[in-house]
Amino acid sequence: MRVLLALAIGAILAVGASVAVVNVGSPTPEPPNRPLYNYGTR
Amino acid sequence: MAGVPPGPDAAVPPGPAANGGTLPETGGPSGARAAAARFAPALLGLALGLLALGPALGPGFVLRYDMVFVPDPPPVGPGEGFPRAVPSDLVVALLAQAVPAQAVQKAALLGIFVLAASGAAALVPSRRLGPRLAAAAFYAWNAYLAQRLLLGQWALLLGVAGLPWAVRAAAAHAFRGGSGRSAGAVRRTGRTPGTTETPETPGALGASETWRARAAWPVRLAVALLPAAVGGFQAMLVSALAVLPVAATARGPAGHPPPAGPSGADPGEPPGVPETDRRPGEAGGRWRGGPAVRRAGGAAAVVVLLSLPWLVPALGSRAVTDPAGVRAFAARADGPFGTVGSLLTLGGIWNSDAGVPGQGTWWSAGVRLALAAVAVWGFAGTRAGRAAPYRAGLATAAAAGLGVALAGAFAPGALGGLIAWWPGFGPLRDGQLYLAPFALLQAVGLGCAVERWNSRAVAAVAAAVPVLVLPTFALGAFGRLAAVDYPDEWRRVQAIVNADPAPGALLSLPWGAHRAFGWNGHRVILDPATKMFRRRVLWNDALLVGLPGGGRLRVAPEDPATAGVDAALRAGPGAREAALARLGVRYVLTRAGDDTFRDAATVFTGPEIRLLRLDEGL
Repeated sequence: MRVLLALAIGAILAVGASVAVVNVGSPTPEPPNRPLYNYGTR
Repeated sequence: MAGVPPGPDAAVPPGPAANGGTLPETGGPSGARAAAARFAPALLGLALGLLALGPALGPGFVLRYDMVFVPDPPPVGPGEGFPRAVPSDLVVALLAQAVPAQAVQKAALLGIFVLAASGAAALVPSRRLGPRLAAAAFYAWNAYLAQRLLLGQWALLLGVAGLPWAVRAAAAHAFRGGSGRSAGAVRRTGRTPGTTETPETPGALGASETWRARAAWPVRLAVALLPAAVGGFQAMLVSALAVLPVAATARGPAGHPPPAGPSGADPGEPPGVPETDRRPGEAGGRWRGGPAVRRAGGAAAVVVLLSLPWLVPALGSRAVTDPAGVRAFAARADGPFGTVGSLLTLGGIWNSDAGVPGQGTWWSAGVRLALAAVAVWGFAGTRAGRAAPYRAGLATAAAAGLGVALAGAFAPGALGGLIAWWPGFGPLRDGQLYLAPFALLQAVGLGCAVERWNSRAVAAVAAAVPVLVLPTFALGAFGRLAAVDYPDEWRRVQAIVNADPAPGALLSLPWGAHRAFGWNGHRVILDPATKMFRRRVLWNDALLVGLPGGGRLRVAPEDPATAGVDAALRAGPGAREAALARLGVRYVLTRAGDDTFRDAATVFTGPEIRLLRLDEGL
């Protein structure tokens, strides 16, 4: 039972991870050129 | 164990760090398996490092925010401002005398993952490999480490990676503190099963061994703190936050041998023995005020000694800290669960550009919050009979670190008041960095939770979970970390300036601390000129932080020399060069198209930068 539960959780997390990777890895518009001064934004 | 494949849940002998290297030499198939299992956490850390850094391991330098490595860095001492990169920059410069600086950088970055993973594994109170691997994976792959790496704070991460080893070394004292026993001596003598009068009781050791044991503890702690000492002030402060309470509260067995297990647990003790069921003198020792204060004092002395390289320049500098930094650097919500939820999942860094891509989604934040809950539950539920000696101290440090992070977000006025009263409180303004002990607590807790299930499948999944819940940290956080080469013009300017024996400072323009060069993928970095030259570099260390509403918050500069340069730059044409020359400026490094200094001699002009010399007599 514990094995099945662990495998199920692992499978769910793997699917979620795959979706996240595809989302982040998919092409996005080129970001605008940043100014020379840019420490960061909150 | 012969004939049993070394699965993720296989029981293994303690590693070299766990037993002080006193294990007999391994040989034969079972010995090879034991050796493989011993180094498995470190190898896992290496694998995770390779996966996380990805393109950053190619030829070139990884440049992002505070992570600025330069070719042929000169070994120079701290400047006039707060010694933020002391002694890390000097150590890098010295190592770069022997190997290329980019190799030093890659070794440091990979070493962070290896050190973190192996250290977290060594703290888990289990002899099984599965729980140790789960803790190793968690501590080497979490939002805290990822965000700090994306902010370029590799020096801080040196201390974070060494934190488990420092905690372990601080707690080891407890096993000797009451009786002055030596762990090594006990391992040599062994324990007599079924008796409470063991050969390693206090009277069994000679005075010389007792003395050696007491003398060895600070040395061992100092060695464990070396990565943090190299890292500098942030790394040492985070380490001190954990080491001091652990040293003070570590409870070892009174009249009981020190542990030989990987976590400090006695391997001869059956799992789950309630403390009340033990024989007198076998249970964990009572907390005693005198020894606790003595231990904490000893640990504090080691911390202060290793902090001297940055502490002395800091106390001697005229640097000031702007309380406005509390608002700029307070923890923020980087997910749907608010600031508190972000901090509980080890995120919440102030800079929105330092977030791991995709971490703010409901899915990512949700599973990481669930994982954090399991980890805390695992740590809290560790049974007293198997509790690690660092348990109370690490919990105290984690709570304190979380409190500091929350204070910046929810009580900025109080923190700002402290900083205004004494600039020494300035390092508290970036409170999220003090989550490191909490990250370690969660890592150990995940290992403890896995240990309870006692299943290979659970252990295998648990070791993969940290990566699965934050998969976009891989491959340099999908390109946010990458290796690039400096354009040749930078090398030429560096050679010209460093070959000039004449004294005088170099002024770096534009008058701001950070740059976003096209050749670096427009990643924001600290001006590399600050680390390239043998002479004093004058730069504007004021920080501009964008606010959610579109405004900007300016954190005043710390270097007192900045005000003088600022005034000189505001002088009119013709007077500007003379004013800078009076401040001791010999060179000005600026943009190629900058024609502000018409009376200065152009020494070099490239496609991007221009080097000017303010000749004498201006």
